[in-house]
Amino acid sequence: MDKLAILLPAMPLLSALSIALLADRPRRHIARLSVGFAALTLLFAAASLAFYLVEGQPHWLSLGSGWGSLTLDPLASLMALMVAGISLVVHVYAVRYMAEEPGYARFYILLDLMAAAILLMVAAGDLVTLLVAWHLIGVLLYFLLGHDTARPAAQRYAFWSFFTYRLGDLPLILAAVLLYQAYGTISLPALFERIAADPGAHAVLGVPLTTVVALLVALAAFARSAQFPLHTWLPYTMEGPTPVSALMHAGIVNAGGFILNRFAPVFVHAGEVLHLVFVVGLVTAILGSVLMLMQNDIKKSLGYSTMGQMGFMFVEAGVGAFSLAIYHLIAHGLFKGTLFLGAGSVIGNARKHDGVPHDDVYTFVVERKPVAYRLPWVVAAALTVVVPFFILGLSHWLVDDDFVGRQGAIILLFFGWVTGAQLLFVTYRLRAGSPWRLMAMIILSLVIVVAGYTWIGHAFDVFLYPDRAFSDRLYAAASIPLGTFEVLAAILTVAVVGGWLATYYATANGGARSGEASPLRLALYSLLSREFYVADIYTWLTQAVLGLSRRLNVWLRWV
Amino acid sequence: MATLLIVALFLPLYPLSVVLNGALARLRGPVARCALLLAWPQLGVALLQLAPQAIPQAFVPWALATAGFYALRLLTVRDMGQWAGFLATSALALSWALAAGGAGRAELHAFAFWFSLPAALVALLAHPLARRFGAAYAGLQGGLIGNLPRLSGMLALTVLAAVATPPFPGFFALLNLLHVLDWSGALGVLAIWLVWGWAATRLLQGFIFGAGRAASLGDIGRASTLLYTGVLGAFAIAGLTLTGGGL
Repeated sequence: MDKLAILLPAMPLLSALSIALLADRPRRHIARLSVGFAALTLLFAAASLAFYLVEGQPHWLSLGSGWGSLTLDPLASLMALMVAGISLVVHVYAVRYMAEEPGYARFYILLDLMAAAILLMVAAGDLVTLLVAWHLIGVLLYFLLGHDTARPAAQRYAFWSFFTYRLGDLPLILAAVLLYQAYGTISLPALFERIAADPGAHAVLGVPLTTVVALLVALAAFARSAQFPLHTWLPYTMEGPTPVSALMHAGIVNAGGFILNRFAPVFVHAGEVLHLVFVVGLVTAILGSVLMLMQNDIKKSLGYSTMGQMGFMFVEAGVGAFSLAIYHLIAHGLFKGTLFLGAGSVIGNARKHDGVPHDDVYTFVVERKPVAYRLPWVVAAALTVVVPFFILGLSHWLVDDDFVGRQGAIILLFFGWVTGAQLLFVTYRLRAGSPWRLMAMIILSLVIVVAGYTWIGHAFDVFLYPDRAFSDRLYAAASIPLGTFEVLAAILTVAVVGGWLATYYATANGGARSGEASPLRLALYSLLSREFYVADIYTWLTQAVLGLSRRLNVWLRWV
Repeated sequence: MATLLIVALFLPLYPLSVVLNGALARLRGPVARCALLLAWPQLGVALLQLAPQAIPQAFVPWALATAGFYALRLLTVRDMGQWAGFLATSALALSWALAAGGAGRAELHAFAFWFSLPAALVALLAHPLARRFGAAYAGLQGGLIGNLPRLSGMLALTVLAAVATPPFPGFFALLNLLHVLDWSGALGVLAIWLVWGWAATRLLQGFIFGAGRAASLGDIGRASTLLYTGVLGAFAIAGLTLTGGGL
């Protein structure tokens, strides 16, 4: 049964080879073949997960030479099932979506090769196999995004993606080389065992090797998962076919979260790097969300939404909640894939009929009608602060009574509380015929979401990191001194509550401003509308390098 | 030292690299270019074994500077034959770093071969393009994938092999090279590798992608396609089996 690991990447590879040989056949034959292989891959992925659940032991399989090994551990089994599932949906969707496009066979070959590369990455059992798969994903994505070869924009943004991915490949390669030089093995299980046995045995320029490697892996993950300022490629990849956008946003972009989890045995010895991951994730989440709100194009807005979600995923990893990052990754992959595949229908329907229900939410958010009736403010304030706190606290306490001992869990609770309170706060201001009923429904949905998230998150933790001591050490590595933590928590609380009060005050005073906007507001608007000038800076740098290259060639007469 | 300087003609170090690139520019026949790219570095490796002294440490930064210099210049080269020459120069210069790291004769011959063969194949592919369009010049006729899908496919695969994309052997050879370098040298090689990838996309975008302006021309034949695919397939398999994964 452990040979299933080989079949996972082999199935889509076989499909790609078959299509290459049968490229002259009618399109429906090609599609059937590819979808059939994708379904088989999903079947094998499900079987491999079931196999692990029955056996309870991870399997490591070497193909004989120094590299080319595969592993079926909880992380690989879970990720393989997710990738194979999304791949099958995208394959089926593309059958008709791509029917009128040129290069049908080429598209399916590339799609199959991409599925094979991702499955190889998640199941890689050694550093070289991981590097090969990691590298190939970037190359294949370039060709998939540039599938419409006649569109210059598609080529331009395919190149952006390729270059950012290559930039992310390099730190991972360096990390692999440093690990091999220090520990003399490329096998991931053996490597992690040796690191656990003596984590401080090696150093690079006086810095512990584990810290250097964790930093390099984090850099690779930042580029792969569009963390600020390496995010510019993500929102623009909408130039590729929609099935590719879905596959990318649902699967490929999540590779950053995967690689952090794969190298968790290194990160457990590199708390400083986890703090960096947290900060970068937080900045990305905020900027991604702000930029999402600035967009008027649904697909670009979804692109920035993905960036924000990736930021949250890194925040989770940064506080030590590695398994929660995987849960987030899978949940986000499923809902974002659905949104992308449905985006075309939404646009089509909106052209005929806006379809927006003129209910309380619409009246409040879009028409900005004044509030006619509210709950008593004391009740609303109590509900806003107490209810989310109670729901979050109780659900976490039920699954793990020691959760208050983990700083990471407290931070996640804080985020949950902010979100829940925000929701209730907005509800309070809603004009509704029956505010009590509306509030009750909102609280009920909050309970369902929080309880589901907590319970499933806990299940993921138990499944991915069955060694409770290791999981605790991850949280401990991500912790900061208690005094600093409390001060930061107080500052954040003041900032959030202050923000709410300012918003409430502005809305209560009508919200509309008369006269010209202040220069500060205009500067902020320019900064946001130009997306922080990051893409402009990259373009300028690119032109400078190309200009230098051209001048050198002219001076040296092209020899 | 004199022997090493002679070797620097064959495992090209700037400014001696001008000889190889000048010769490639003068040679018009695709087979002659191909043969030169294949034989020239092997001669260099053979001569290196005859050198009476160890490679001075200064040669490593010189080699890295040459590789980086030609990688940078590669970005704006549009003639495919010249592109192959510049890429080969950039890659073959790295042989010095490998040799200084204590690599054996067989390893050096293999390293030179892993990089010169795909470069030679790129130079060879310039011929069918020049025959059809008068010159193998990126941007002259874009959108070849529509009219010449087989040639475009072969070109894409060969260029990927030339810039050390897995599973081609160049990838594993570079991993091996990184292993023998210190961290600063490794950073340099990684930066060069990044620029190769950039240059490859620029070349492919100039030939394969874009709006097709070419009139309907005959693609390369099935036999040529099979031959090319066979050579590239054998090349990849050889890399997978002989390099042992690079590390």
